[in-house]
Amino acid sequence: MIPVTYRANFSYLLRHPWQLALAIVGVAIGVAVIVAVDLANASARKAFLLSMDAVTGEATHQVIGGPRGVDESVYASLRVDAGIRAIAPVVEGNVRVGERSLDLMGIDLFAEQDLREFTGQVDTAEMDDADAESVFRALLTDPTAVTMSRTTANELGLEAGDAFDVIADGRTRPATLFGTFDSDGTSIDNLLIADIATAQAWLGQQGWLSRLDVRIEDGDDAALKKLEDALPAGTRVLTAAGRTRTTAELSKAFMTNLTAMSLLALLVGLFLIYNSVNFSVLQRRGLIGSLRALGMTRRELFTLIMTEAALIGLISATVGVLLGAWLGDRLLALVSLSINDFYFRVNATNVTVSAFSVTKGMLAGVGAALVASAVPALEAMAYEPRLAMARSTLEQHTSRFLPIAAILGIATMAAAVIVLLASGQSLVAGLTAVFMLILGFALCVPLVVGIVSRAIAPATTRAAGTTFGMSVSGIAASLSRTGIAIVALAVAVSATIGVSVMVDSFRGSVSDWLEQSLQADVYTGVERGDMDPTLIADIVALAGVEHYSTSRRAWLEDDESRVQLIAIQMAPGGYAGTEILDADPDRVWPRWEAGDVVLVSEPYAYQNAVAAGDTITLRTRSGDTPFEIGATYQSYDINASAVMLSRATYDRHYDDDGIDSIGLYLADGVDADAFVETIGVLAGDRQLIRASSNVGIRELSLEIFDRTFVITDVLYWLALGVAFIGILGAMLALQLERTRELATLRALGMTPAQIGGMITGQTATIGLFSGIAAVPLGLIMAWVLIEVINRRAFGWQIDMTVAPGILGSAVVFAVGAAMLAGLYPAMRASRVEPAVAMREE
Amino acid sequence: MRYLLSIGLLFAFSAFAQESNNSELADLLGSEDMSGFVRAIEPYEFSFPRDHGPHPEFRNEWWYITGNLDGERDRRFGFELTIFRFSLTPDEPEKDSDWRTNQVYIAHFAVTDADRERFYVAERYSRGALGIAGAEADPFRVWIDDWEITGSGQPERWQLTAADEDFALDLALTALKPPALNGDEGLSQKSDEPGNASYYYTIPRWQSEGTLRLGDDTFTVSGLSWLDREWSSSALASDQKGWDWFALQLSDGSELMYYNIRKDDGSQDRNSSGTWIDANGNYRYLSRDEVTVTVNDYWDSPEGGRYPGAWTVEVQAVGLVVDVEPVIADQELFTTVRYWEGAVDVEGTRNGNRVEGRGYVELTGYAD
Repeated sequence: MIPVTYRANFSYLLRHPWQLALAIVGVAIGVAVIVAVDLANASARKAFLLSMDAVTGEATHQVIGGPRGVDESVYASLRVDAGIRAIAPVVEGNVRVGERSLDLMGIDLFAEQDLREFTGQVDTAEMDDADAESVFRALLTDPTAVTMSRTTANELGLEAGDAFDVIADGRTRPATLFGTFDSDGTSIDNLLIADIATAQAWLGQQGWLSRLDVRIEDGDDAALKKLEDALPAGTRVLTAAGRTRTTAELSKAFMTNLTAMSLLALLVGLFLIYNSVNFSVLQRRGLIGSLRALGMTRRELFTLIMTEAALIGLISATVGVLLGAWLGDRLLALVSLSINDFYFRVNATNVTVSAFSVTKGMLAGVGAALVASAVPALEAMAYEPRLAMARSTLEQHTSRFLPIAAILGIATMAAAVIVLLASGQSLVAGLTAVFMLILGFALCVPLVVGIVSRAIAPATTRAAGTTFGMSVSGIAASLSRTGIAIVALAVAVSATIGVSVMVDSFRGSVSDWLEQSLQADVYTGVERGDMDPTLIADIVALAGVEHYSTSRRAWLEDDESRVQLIAIQMAPGGYAGTEILDADPDRVWPRWEAGDVVLVSEPYAYQNAVAAGDTITLRTRSGDTPFEIGATYQSYDINASAVMLSRATYDRHYDDDGIDSIGLYLADGVDADAFVETIGVLAGDRQLIRASSNVGIRELSLEIFDRTFVITDVLYWLALGVAFIGILGAMLALQLERTRELATLRALGMTPAQIGGMITGQTATIGLFSGIAAVPLGLIMAWVLIEVINRRAFGWQIDMTVAPGILGSAVVFAVGAAMLAGLYPAMRASRVEPAVAMREE
Repeated sequence: MRYLLSIGLLFAFSAFAQESNNSELADLLGSEDMSGFVRAIEPYEFSFPRDHGPHPEFRNEWWYITGNLDGERDRRFGFELTIFRFSLTPDEPEKDSDWRTNQVYIAHFAVTDADRERFYVAERYSRGALGIAGAEADPFRVWIDDWEITGSGQPERWQLTAADEDFALDLALTALKPPALNGDEGLSQKSDEPGNASYYYTIPRWQSEGTLRLGDDTFTVSGLSWLDREWSSSALASDQKGWDWFALQLSDGSELMYYNIRKDDGSQDRNSSGTWIDANGNYRYLSRDEVTVTVNDYWDSPEGGRYPGAWTVEVQAVGLVVDVEPVIADQELFTTVRYWEGAVDVEGTRNGNRVEGRGYVELTGYAD
């Protein structure tokens, strides 16, 4: 049995369904964004881990080598000389089937027995009279034979027995699907399995293995030692789990940033709940007064309001979680895209809704509702049992509270600065500080708005007439509600400013960097793999080529991290393309060419706390080798932790003569675009290569850059959506509350148009205040994002540039959004029938 | 002599065929496309050491060594090391990678500990590439991983090395006799169709010295070993179920090899045959009519299937009547194909005189 007091309250809410609905929608969106980001992150990560697990199988360790991997003779020697058995060779690389990118995994079925499950499950039932021996024969002796999961085959529209083309190492290879296996979900989809010989041939990896998978029983240190002792210099044993973790870690900063964005949406939602509950309390002050008069205690009253808030929270959270699951599905595609672009291959097609994510979302929703309602609930407790206080008294209450809030706000901001200074390289602490800054700033906004609006009201009356003057002074007079609307909008808009300025600055820096680093006129290379050496020779021999540079990128893995090696053979004009940050280029370059020193990227220097003159250790052919850092250079590569070696140095230390790409310096008057075409004709069927002028590469790079920030866009639009609903709710509430006042104004002779104008003016002013308040907050956020968050997450140093357009459009946007939100309330207000409205009481 | 086994192995070890493991092996044999492979049709001019090496133009081939060994403290052991080679295709594929090959190797290594009644088994498989597994004639070497048989010289001196976690064997082998050619001068017919035959030679007696490790115990061992070498491209007919194979080394210096091929209906195939080798190494063909094998006892495998468990073998032409009994009953190999291969004791008379001996027996086609 619901107590009558509760029913009295709920029936109030039910009589004002829009207010209830807006509160629910606002929080729901906040919760939805949190849940969606959480699900997308978790699903992408889980898909990655599952696929790694399936591919790793029972392997506990992996043996890795240098840039090309492990010399295959090492494997033979381990088996034949050292008698080590639970090892399996793997050759892997990325290939394309049609437009689909797949991982090619070359295995030796004979070594697989104890390591991987799916390799024993190939189903060839579709083949005519297929017996195991013929399957085996096909896999080993047919250089086109491959297998894949049934799911992947279905997606590619292939059936067992079908022939198709695989593009590997820039060359088109004929393939035959000799059978499929059951993938049991998504974990090993996107995988093309072939014999190790086929994989080597296709990937141009003859003589090399990507890694050895090893199974060592838990705690069998003797076996591990035996393996390590048998391995030559330049190889290393890593735990499979650790290697997976290191790979997954690559994307951690990216995912943390997404989570932070989602929290922003909830924060805005928080203001919204506060607004709604606060308003409903204010609205019901008469009812609350009556309840108190009927004997309800303060404690009961508090419980009543908090129960109501909890209910709203629960409903919102439920809606939010459902919405979040839907949104997460869409977000996952975006997240996967970015992760694929930059970190590792992940094939997450479905969001898996985890209880953990749902619980988090529910707790966030209900928690936010309770926290946001606590203040108004406490305020309601202060009501005397007598009939309701006058509205003016209430506002006095509010204005007494404002300075306290502002002081709290300043203290929070101060604390944020301390957190920033004291937290070293912690990304989470940096993000926490950002939230503290926002919160602190938000707490100060109402006071400032009150002061300002009171101060300018007389001036606006003189300048724009009574109606508009009333709009402005009305804001100050009803700060208990307008204040929160302003804060919500300001926070949302400041986030757009912060993020836009950051992205814009970032883009500018990247663009400048690209401009500088792309010194050659034309670049050409293979997507993944080595360029055909004869093709390189033919290209550089073309008329019009004055000089050329070559580059090779390779990964060096360790227990904890992975570093990119960049081996460059510079062209005479190429040095200017690399900006040396902490040394004299004229002195560094000759030493770098001579092999005395290496260069490290700025993010590498930041993450490893090293600088010019320090020594780093790199694993080479002869084991761990010390290298002196000649200088730090600027780089905005996403996998930014890189070490740059001269080609000669690289060749001395690594068994790898591959070249990924070459840069061509053309003679004066040679048209780059025409030259690109010439290269395409020359490459013809020999190798599928990409060639582009430096302008083309710059455009492409920026395109990828922009794509990365699509997620950011989506998230802050959602935050804005929440703020928009907040304004709509606040203005509707105001209008409702002021029905009688508006009716009086009508009775006094104001036309409906004037009333509408007044409301619109008021929302426009709210928008203006929000927009203006958002500017400093946005700039602070941008600064923190650039100097703290980006640096901590990725190690990039970005020059902050503020385009006035961003600030201006943010203010205009705030005004526009507010006016749009005020449109409906204004219409309603202008339709008030004075007689009816005044009769109400 | 292990055709069915070898093809079955290839069939089964691939793990592709878990469910069809017990399907009609004969169908498999019958449907095999032999085109392109060289077949054993005509008698062949054997030459050594060349023929110790591989014959990749034939589909399958094996190096098979068994032996009975004595260790310290009167311990009695038996061992088997067989390395199988298979050609998946008649021609070698184009070498686009060091791993590319049509050659596959499988090995079985087993040791019988007669006194403790324990039987140790291990299995290896690999492609014949990259030096991980392979066979070479001169100097002779056949190996998978770190299991290998190497050899040189006249008379033959070979070395055998194999180790698994629980057991290991290192043996120096010295041939006491020259190769004996089985069948028609080495052409051993297995079923009626021409070409369903192998080239088959035996070196029936090797002095063997070395060490055997069982768990933490290492024994110095010595005894006699037996080598079978056989290669072919096809052998059995669709109505042949399995075989019983005997390799007996007698105390008077002679040896008997005999295989009895059983048909589906339980009858004996007329291509069953054997070889008698006297103390001087002279050998003669034994047709199935010249050898009588009587089963005296049976052994039921705990995993199902009833194997013969004791025999009387009679060869009138050489005046031989012997009882053959396993040193322990359970010498069944649970490799990818189940079969029984074990050390046996021999006791009886030769021309009225008492004779004893040791040997190895192989039984296939009995497992359920």
